[in-house]
Amino acid sequence: MNRRVVSRRVVSGESGVGSGAHRNRQSAWRLVGGGVVLAYSLLTTPDSLLSQDAEAGKVIYDQWCAGCHGETGAGDGDAAAFMLPRPRDFRMAIYQIRTTASGELPTDSDMRRVIDNGMPGTTMPGWRDKLSGGERDDVIAYLKTFSRFFDGASPQAIDIGRQPGRPSDEDLAEARRLFADELQCVRCHGNQGRGDGTSAPTLTDDAGFPVRAADLAENWNFNGGGTVADIYMRMRTGLDGTPMPSNSDVIDAGIITDEQLWRVAQYVRSLSPDDPPARRDVVRAARFEGPLPSSPEDTLWENVEPYYIPMVGQITIKPRWFAPTVDGLWVRAAHNDETLTVKLTWNDASQSPDPEWDEFFQGVVQTMTDIDGPLPTQQGPDRIVVQFPVKAPEGTELPFFLGGDTRRPVYLWRWTSEPDRVEEGTATGLGTFLATGASEVTHTAVFSEGQWQLQFTRSLVPADSSIAATFVPGERLPIAFYAADGTDAEDATRGAISAWYAIYLDVPTPPRVFVAPIVAALFTVGLGLAIVWQAQRQQRKT
Amino acid sequence: MRRFLVASSVFVFLGCGGGDGGSGGGAAAVDPLGNASITGAISFVGTAPANPTIDMADEPDCEAKFTGTPVDPIVSVSDGKLANVFIRVVGGLPDGPYPMPSEPARINQDGCLYSPRVIGAMVGQPIEITNSDPLLHNIKAMPTENRPFNISQPRAGMTTTRRFNTPEVVIPLECNVHGWMNAYVAVVDHPYFAVTGADGSFTIGGLPAGTYQVEAWHETLGTQSGEVTVEADGSATLDLTFGG
Amino acid sequence: MWRILSWLKEPFGQAVALLVGSFLFFKYGIPLFPGSAPVPNSVVLQYTLIALVGILIFVSENEKRWVRFKQPIRATLVDDDKRRLRGVLLAVVPLAVGLVTFNFARPSVGATAGLRAVHPSPPSEIDFQGRTLRIQGLSNPLRERGSMEEHYATGMRIYYQNCLPCHGDLLDGQGHFADGLNPTPLAFDGAGTIDQLEESFLFWRIAKGGPGLPPEGTPWNSAMPIWEDFLTEDEIWAVIIFLYEQSGLEPRTWEVEGAEGAGGER
Repeated sequence: MNRRVVSRRVVSGESGVGSGAHRNRQSAWRLVGGGVVLAYSLLTTPDSLLSQDAEAGKVIYDQWCAGCHGETGAGDGDAAAFMLPRPRDFRMAIYQIRTTASGELPTDSDMRRVIDNGMPGTTMPGWRDKLSGGERDDVIAYLKTFSRFFDGASPQAIDIGRQPGRPSDEDLAEARRLFADELQCVRCHGNQGRGDGTSAPTLTDDAGFPVRAADLAENWNFNGGGTVADIYMRMRTGLDGTPMPSNSDVIDAGIITDEQLWRVAQYVRSLSPDDPPARRDVVRAARFEGPLPSSPEDTLWENVEPYYIPMVGQITIKPRWFAPTVDGLWVRAAHNDETLTVKLTWNDASQSPDPEWDEFFQGVVQTMTDIDGPLPTQQGPDRIVVQFPVKAPEGTELPFFLGGDTRRPVYLWRWTSEPDRVEEGTATGLGTFLATGASEVTHTAVFSEGQWQLQFTRSLVPADSSIAATFVPGERLPIAFYAADGTDAEDATRGAISAWYAIYLDVPTPPRVFVAPIVAALFTVGLGLAIVWQAQRQQRKT
Repeated sequence: MRRFLVASSVFVFLGCGGGDGGSGGGAAAVDPLGNASITGAISFVGTAPANPTIDMADEPDCEAKFTGTPVDPIVSVSDGKLANVFIRVVGGLPDGPYPMPSEPARINQDGCLYSPRVIGAMVGQPIEITNSDPLLHNIKAMPTENRPFNISQPRAGMTTTRRFNTPEVVIPLECNVHGWMNAYVAVVDHPYFAVTGADGSFTIGGLPAGTYQVEAWHETLGTQSGEVTVEADGSATLDLTFGG
Repeated sequence: MWRILSWLKEPFGQAVALLVGSFLFFKYGIPLFPGSAPVPNSVVLQYTLIALVGILIFVSENEKRWVRFKQPIRATLVDDDKRRLRGVLLAVVPLAVGLVTFNFARPSVGATAGLRAVHPSPPSEIDFQGRTLRIQGLSNPLRERGSMEEHYATGMRIYYQNCLPCHGDLLDGQGHFADGLNPTPLAFDGAGTIDQLEESFLFWRIAKGGPGLPPEGTPWNSAMPIWEDFLTEDEIWAVIIFLYEQSGLEPRTWEVEGAEGAGGER
């Protein structure tokens, strides 16, 4: 009955997954080593480690963590070459997210917090729902055995001041000055905090892998969490292993006060929206009576609601891309019954190709897997593709969301940054393109301070509706996006994709919307009066 | 360059002669073990690899400190002599404890370059890191035997002191704001070390009589070693050669 | 306070309290039970109407109670001292009706309702890398040969290099790319996932991916790659072994239904 050759217990048991004698010997040695460390830890730090069991932690680590972090904790698991940033190498006990001083070991609760919550903006998930509290503590005990630095150590969180109350506008202005001119965060993070500072292109981590300065406008992607307190602690203690330094010495030297650092944290928090953008399925194109916004920076856009479209790596069709730069597009659309205009806004630290970013590009090429074939040898342009079905779908059946297929092609607007142009065409699969000839789509692209703003404009009715989509006010049309960053070694299929969304061209509100409620209310009043009248007549009769 | 030579000699001299005050770490002062010295020069033969130029266009304040195009002095050869070589005694020393140099080891960031590029420090000796540029540097130390640090110095005149507690030759320092900035700190458990100046010369003093194995380290050219015997209060010469 | 208590002695007050209580229970009480999801509003409305009918049947079943129940309603309609309350109700109720109507009439642009079969029935045979493979009755050949540790290790490598970004470290379908996809990737953990499926079904789904789905699976939306373009037959079987080992679930088997067909968590 039981066709299973080994039970799960054996597979993930003490002897490890390995089968050869050599591997078993290795594990045995590691166990002995772990045991010695554990015994030593128990003797030297009687309180903190008693509940933790490195041996039990190893079983969990090998099953759930080794795929990325590697069996030896070197950050070289099977998936490592498919990730950027790479998984942490535990052997040097250098941890980004700490409440301890620069270069110090993390406390147990620092480690526990990262395991519980994961690291936003990276591939590290939170384990709260998968592993019990005891199991997570066991993993921590085991992680410590990867480095001798933990032997007998009892790291202490630094003393910090209290977060001051809500910042006034003057507080924020002063914090902005400290951010830009005193602490000079802008050198890496850029003037608007979008990770496009002059030093950003050459940043590498301890292992020499390219690393981006964080885009401070996306606090939901901050590795150590996006609250003011999280931001303060990262600025205070630094992100060890990365270029981000600690600012504790700046406070000690009297250059800024602890309260001022809190204010800078509040300023950085203010660069992101209050809540992470929610995904909505339908982009509504606002209806304008008069002229539409004429450029991406037209103030008319201020009245148009932005919609956030999450973008993720294209890993469906060869060649795939596992670490895309663009993780979301803000889409605004407007029409005036004749013309549709669509504006895309996204943060990208570089206007590709940019020789300043060559080192970064080379770093990405050397770091990322080439499992699907060689990576580009030089920086390509930045790319955007906006995709529609050629015809509004009947029923629910759509073209394949990745560029359609031969049975159901899609209609595209394809933009590149270099040369800066838009082509109109059709596709029968991601990366394919058949130009329609004369392009009816016009565009304007503006790159400024780590942000692209790209506006497409086209008449609602195309010259040839057999190959180009027709936009009908009051109807929904599917829409999907593709984005690539040339500096990140991305191209026509290595890039970021979206699912199908819909664009809906608003129509004037029909009168029935206002008439129906009035009629219903009047009818109810009449009914009520009739009931009361009837009841009172009956009462009088009796 | 002259300034650099003087600085390192003075530092070594003080290191040998002093040993009372300012050693930090609360260690008891140790008297010098002797008064002998090893002197010498490090030569370079052959064609030195060209040093890369640095584009400082984004940092006019640093660029202004140079007359020509700034160069990254990775292999610094002058009249056949090699600068920025770290020399230390690796064998033959009596058991410690050894006297702590009386002055801190010092490294400066000046014109968006480290000066000096290579320094030595004894275990526990304070290392003073100063920013002489009116702009942000971060100093990231990447040891393997010691704990790392990564600190921010956003202003000219700011000095930060750090110590390393485990011998390690060498610990790279880098500035991530200026990707070209590299320096090296060699940490040893005794004070018998020196760094060559622009003329390739060095002096290791304060030694008792004995026969010593000496190793010279250069960041790209590797290591060279030699042996030398000194009399009490005497001076012996050891010249080593890289390249060729 | 006393007034409310005295109301509760009256059938009308009791009926109202029961109705409100059952609504609150349907809306907020049910989701508190372990394993329950929030109840959709339409279902809450349905349940509440059923409760209302039940309450009305109860109060009208006894003539005396029925009279007492109607008494406050009647009083509101006719009594002179209730004139003000009557006026307020005659204004508020029609307004509420108007508002609800407005909400219905207002043009709303939601997502297209798409019906999707998560586990469509598999074909009896597929063309796999140029040859015909019979899915019906197919079992995982790796379970009969080689070392399970090695199959697991191979499967782990395949999973971490290919599947992880969508299906996640935790096998919960919440990989770091999951949020950008629609439909979101399937979970492999917990009862009701792959324990409901034969290994051959997984083989089919992996080999043929989204584009190989029948129309009821909305193949045009799935980001699942056609893995036969990336992986060998043995690699696909190995990743299937990994999925079951890692999740601790048992596959459904082709043996007689019921014998060991119903999988579950161990």
